[in-house]
Amino acid sequence: MTTSTDTYRRELVQALRAGNVPPERIGEIVAEVESHVADTGEDPREAFGPARDYAAGFRRPRSRASVAASVAPTLLCALSGFFVAVGIIGLVDGEPAFGLPAWVVLAAGLVLWIPVLVSVLRQSVPVPDPRTGRWITAGPAVTAVGMSGALVAIAVACWGLAVLTS
Amino acid sequence: MRATLPLTVLAVVAEEETYGYAIAQRLQAAGLGAVKGGTLYPVLNRLEQDELVTSSWREGAGGPGRKFFTVTPHGRAHLAERAAAWHTFTERAAGLLPSVGSPR
Repeated sequence: MTTSTDTYRRELVQALRAGNVPPERIGEIVAEVESHVADTGEDPREAFGPARDYAAGFRRPRSRASVAASVAPTLLCALSGFFVAVGIIGLVDGEPAFGLPAWVVLAAGLVLWIPVLVSVLRQSVPVPDPRTGRWITAGPAVTAVGMSGALVAIAVACWGLAVLTS
Repeated sequence: MRATLPLTVLAVVAEEETYGYAIAQRLQAAGLGAVKGGTLYPVLNRLEQDELVTSSWREGAGGPGRKFFTVTPHGRAHLAERAAAWHTFTERAAGLLPSVGSPR
């Protein structure tokens, strides 16, 4: 598979997910594109148009509950990252945060991370390839490790910054 | 062209079980021009959604596998009905149009 097809696949999966298309249907659409360009030798962008435009034709409306379910984890994620950063800076400086011991704020940030992780894992159902039955997107474990790695990176960056500035 | 595409695609699938690229080639060979994948597959998906065709993935010889489409009995009946209506329409429209080379 060419880099162009790989890039197009990533963009198409992302756009279809954003359009509330079920994982099995995403797998079908992506496989159709890949199979077709393998036959024709065309660039997928040339044959199917920009991924976002092609995906728009498959978009499904979201319910209000579903929109709320996607907004809440984003807010919690931001709050969690903020508490972790403030907690770590407080621990390094040896000062309380928001009038509380810094470790309490750090712990609160880590506790808030749990519902974020659960929500993302529930939403990131892997996309199956109808030709092979294998997943064409990262499984829940990879997503969980990637997200937790990002939180650790934020924590390490804040710790480094606090040490440098204190 | 866009309006007649679903019917012509259904007619090609009704000829024999086939796949996307072969359908595009068949349409082009019939003089209907090049049909891009981005136009063809949504039409095929719609035909499948309407239960006029069914599809299944088959492994290709060293390739990534192809999605083959087969007409259903309902699809065949729909094609016969729509084709008859199309012929009636084109005959009536042709009766109103000047013949090629006429000075009208």
